[in-house]
Amino acid sequence: MYKTSIRISVLACALAAATLALAGDDPGHERHELMEGVRDAAKPVGAMMKGEADYDQATLMTSLETFASAADQLGGLFPDGSEGGEAAPAIWEDRAGFEAAIAEWQDVTAAAIAANPATLDDAKPVVGPVFGACKNCHDSYRIEEE
Amino acid sequence: MAPARTATTPIVLKKSSYYLLGTVAVIALAAIGLTRTTTTNELPAHSADASPGERIFWAGGCASCHATPVDGKRAKGDDKLLLGGGLELDTPFGVFHVPNISPHVEDGIGDWSMLEFVNAMQHGVSPDGRHYYPSFPYTSYAKMNTEDVMDLRAYLATLPEVAGTTPEHALDFPWSVRRGIGLWKRMNLKSDPVIDVAEDDEQLLLGRYLVESAGHCGECHTPRDGFGGMIASEWLGGAANPDGEGKVPDITPSGKNVSGWSASDIAYYLESGFTPDFDTVGGTMVAVQENMSRLSADDRAAIAAYLNAVPAAHPTN
Repeated sequence: MYKTSIRISVLACALAAATLALAGDDPGHERHELMEGVRDAAKPVGAMMKGEADYDQATLMTSLETFASAADQLGGLFPDGSEGGEAAPAIWEDRAGFEAAIAEWQDVTAAAIAANPATLDDAKPVVGPVFGACKNCHDSYRIEEE
Repeated sequence: MAPARTATTPIVLKKSSYYLLGTVAVIALAAIGLTRTTTTNELPAHSADASPGERIFWAGGCASCHATPVDGKRAKGDDKLLLGGGLELDTPFGVFHVPNISPHVEDGIGDWSMLEFVNAMQHGVSPDGRHYYPSFPYTSYAKMNTEDVMDLRAYLATLPEVAGTTPEHALDFPWSVRRGIGLWKRMNLKSDPVIDVAEDDEQLLLGRYLVESAGHCGECHTPRDGFGGMIASEWLGGAANPDGEGKVPDITPSGKNVSGWSASDIAYYLESGFTPDFDTVGGTMVAVQENMSRLSADDRAAIAAYLNAVPAAHPTN
């Protein structure tokens, strides 16, 4: 009896460790990490838009590529059963709307990349919709945690 | 333990008797006419102009409550100009049904005179002489320049007519007694500014005007006393969310959510909806931010300067 329970404990620990190692199987964690990366990429762009940093085309393009890659991955990180965190129930209740919001983000990001803006004045009109897409999607599909 | 209990009981009874007496006194005062409506009979010599009125419309956030929801969701884009009402505000006092203020003659406010509009906005009185509930933020609008209110009226008249009326408010007693609002107004309806700023600082004066009057920021961000009046000593210091769960944050320099925000951070947040940390605006502030994004950069900079200049509501934080 005692030996059995030790065996079970060891097995449980091993399973827990395996789960930790395979954090990729936790969509809640994965999408949080992905969004953190998007935010980090948005910061230098925001500083340029605010006039706090000099315009740098290469920095903008790197950030836009990060957005494009994240937008491609995002839709797959909300499987059934992964509800919770800051993800609004609306994601599962209105899947089509959620996917349309992601598609919108993909479209405006692709347009900004294609524009390859050389100056801040060229960048503002194409970056505006990209930031707008963040806000629009959050407005409907993200809830704030206390 | 038994003696303590007997000692407590009469005190509780006493308290409730005082409460009852107080209620009777309030009703008696109401009966002797303290609740009469106060309005203005004179308008300033001003030719109302719709063009500057549009700025007042966005500063005042009219659409956030009066735009008719679309498919149960907040109106966006041009739908914000369809002011048929219909939003429900579920508050601790009961449910408020936001009315139609489109220029529709029968269902909206199309047949109102300029004077009736000003009395509604700045005195909280309807054309038929009834008190409005302060869910309509006339305590803030009372601090507006009447010329701006008149321009706003001219702008509203240019918007599309929307047919349809909304239900009466469904409030709990005693809030359902509309006459009591007259007394409340005596305590809470003031046209003078809340915060002193240097009288020669034009940017701060503009910021104060936009925040304290049209912008009515204090309506959600300032805590209220037991009678629903804003507590001036905790101006913009954060409060319970009037419509739902959670808290509305402290936006004075002591506020944790805005800690370290420069004036340009605040202005950029109002313009774009992004915090300095590059998180996005959330909750009921989304609609407010979208309104603020329609103002000029100078207006947003003035709001930011004022917010950084107001006293910290909770200096010990």
